[in-house]
Amino acid sequence: MNTELSEEAVEYGRTALRAFEAAGGDQIVQDAEREPARRADLVEPVLAELGAWDLDPRGGADELEAVAALCRVAGWWALPYPVAERLARPADGSTDGLVVIAGTGPGGAAGAAGAGDARDAGDAGDAGLVGYGPAAPVAGLGRRWSTVTFDGGRGVATAAPPTTTPRYGAFVTGLVDDPALVPSQASRDGDGLADLALGLVLPCWTLLGMLDRAIDLTRAHVLAREQFGQPLARFQGVQFQLTDAEVERLGVEELAKYALWAVATGRGEAVDDALALRLAILEAADQVFRVAHQLHGAMGFCDETTLSWISRYSQPVRRLPLGLSATRDELTRRIGRAGLAGPFAPRREPNLEVQPL
Amino acid sequence: MTSPAISTADLAEFRAEVRRWCRAEVPSDWRRTQAGASDDEFVRFQQEWFQRLRTAGFAVPHWPAEWGGGMPVAQQVVLYQELAAHDAPRLVLGFVSIHHAASTLLAAGTDEQRRRHLPAILDGEIWVQGFSEPEAGSDLASLRTTARREGDGFVVDGQKLWASGAAHADWCLLLARTDPAAPKRRGISYFLMDMRTPGIDVRPVRNAAGESHFCEIFLNGVVIPAENLVGPVDQGWQVAQSTLSAERGMTMLELAERLGNAGFRWLVETCRTPGPGGGRPVDDPRVLDRLAELDTEIAGLRALCRGLVERHEAGTAGPVEASVVKLYYSELLQRTMDFAVEVAGLPAHAELRKPASSGWESGAWVLDFIGSWEWTIPGGTSEIQRTIIGERGLGLPREPVVSS
Repeated sequence: MNTELSEEAVEYGRTALRAFEAAGGDQIVQDAEREPARRADLVEPVLAELGAWDLDPRGGADELEAVAALCRVAGWWALPYPVAERLARPADGSTDGLVVIAGTGPGGAAGAAGAGDARDAGDAGDAGLVGYGPAAPVAGLGRRWSTVTFDGGRGVATAAPPTTTPRYGAFVTGLVDDPALVPSQASRDGDGLADLALGLVLPCWTLLGMLDRAIDLTRAHVLAREQFGQPLARFQGVQFQLTDAEVERLGVEELAKYALWAVATGRGEAVDDALALRLAILEAADQVFRVAHQLHGAMGFCDETTLSWISRYSQPVRRLPLGLSATRDELTRRIGRAGLAGPFAPRREPNLEVQPL
Repeated sequence: MTSPAISTADLAEFRAEVRRWCRAEVPSDWRRTQAGASDDEFVRFQQEWFQRLRTAGFAVPHWPAEWGGGMPVAQQVVLYQELAAHDAPRLVLGFVSIHHAASTLLAAGTDEQRRRHLPAILDGEIWVQGFSEPEAGSDLASLRTTARREGDGFVVDGQKLWASGAAHADWCLLLARTDPAAPKRRGISYFLMDMRTPGIDVRPVRNAAGESHFCEIFLNGVVIPAENLVGPVDQGWQVAQSTLSAERGMTMLELAERLGNAGFRWLVETCRTPGPGGGRPVDDPRVLDRLAELDTEIAGLRALCRGLVERHEAGTAGPVEASVVKLYYSELLQRTMDFAVEVAGLPAHAELRKPASSGWESGAWVLDFIGSWEWTIPGGTSEIQRTIIGERGLGLPREPVVSS
């Protein structure tokens, strides 16, 4: 087992970081929020220049690692664009991207609302409204999105027009299930679960990039901000808060590599590992952003600081498709008493057999 | 000064009286009318509500009797409990006036200053605190706004930041440096500044939630008459220290009862509300566990606050009790709001307005959670409170300071 990203993937990430810096860096999300219609134009040319559309996350470990590195960069700059979801689009190009939605069954209609921790079924009358059904940060981009539920059910949904400005909605909009567009293949086959694992892991890499940035910004702030005649960083109480947050970030970085490896190698427990990563990174995000905000002081809640933007745009990935407690619930129900296989367990093949009742 | 003992029967009668008053006087529709209220509507509503409380003797129960207060602590607790339980609007606009300004005037003001301002506050005079600056947050004593003696007054130049509600204020509690050569805590003076004086420019600061009740105050050649100095020249730091901790207990008593009798009930209500598909969070044992933990902590907070106020009145409060209460309240408030956001899920993120005049726990949980940082950061950050408790309470050595 080697969970380290290849040198090529790491270098690709460095290149992408510089490319988006040259394209405006932190200004990109600010411009997109002011002029939502420019959202795609601000990001897509850079992705094209980076050859991102040629990457196939299902095409082997090398390409998957490059995609993960790119998602991490998207998080660093809080790119106003669903890079993870777009790059996970079906290979046949039939839709604009892949989104994991809460619930079970094709399109998620028969299960949970995509409402953070509110796990119950969406009311058909509220379909398309954020908070009352599947939703994703895909407002104003393509109309057709592939969906996959937590039991591997695949569907196709259309993105509703956004009901609020990006300043408050962070480009999240409702996804309306379109039964006429459900793919013809069986909805609970192995590919559905593979899609689920991929669709869970990639956004975690985006969030990881946001945690990288939050720590980096906070480190810079406490080194620069002087009170009592010295930088805040000289106070051990400040140092320890930041180091605790950094330990959390380092831990989930390792888990993210492990879950990516589980996806790349097609392990049967990849969905369990993806959920474990999601749970861990949501917990880490709570701590990292709590510390980042507390140490930035009041200014961290004003848009004059980059932290405010990163923090606001971290919300969709932290709440969708499932928030912290619903993710924990999903993971514990799935692994039951068996627990996680872990890196040293014998390989478990995907179970494609239909179990007789 | 100790409060006269009050019998249980008297307290029960007082509670009944407050309840009758609340049923008759708390506007039933204020949450609706204050949701999305304009600044003018908010100010008018707050002023009217303040006068209604004043008429009943409930606006400034913590002030001395001669100025219109004098309510025993046991009765204050009952009053705050009942106001919260009846979901009465909070005195948001007058908060600094009835607490910080009043306690400063009572503790350190001249008779003339008290006569001029305490009745005016009862008539609706609004105050703002002008302490923090861009380079002086936790290290407040390093403030750079200067007040230069000129003739019969002082001329003030500088900039204040995070002045909550400055856009509506008539007067400002101002700290400014009068002796640049003195050690930093010895050269600060405390002023009462009329916000209509020429040279004052107030600009709102918009936060991530889109609110802008924080303001920057720019001061450019502002003239303050010498009679508006509080305490001796260059002794402003000492005045601020003594009045801030005195005021802390009184504000906390109300806030703790509000959290226990309004905020926590709102949270339980949220947990009882079926989600979009019918399930109730409260049916989940993990939710129940968390509710029980929070309820226990809030009970502890209420006891702490009451004890602090009683010991403060008896003159036996320790040097760090106010810091303990502030630290405990602010972090408990933040944990409680964080949990509420978790329970309420994504729909809470789509709730973009909270009613003006509501408490720190309005039920618009995401906004409340963001608002909870106004407790762990301003008024002495949690880090500063911990330092105070460690050094002055536990007698631990001071953190090494690099010579500057």
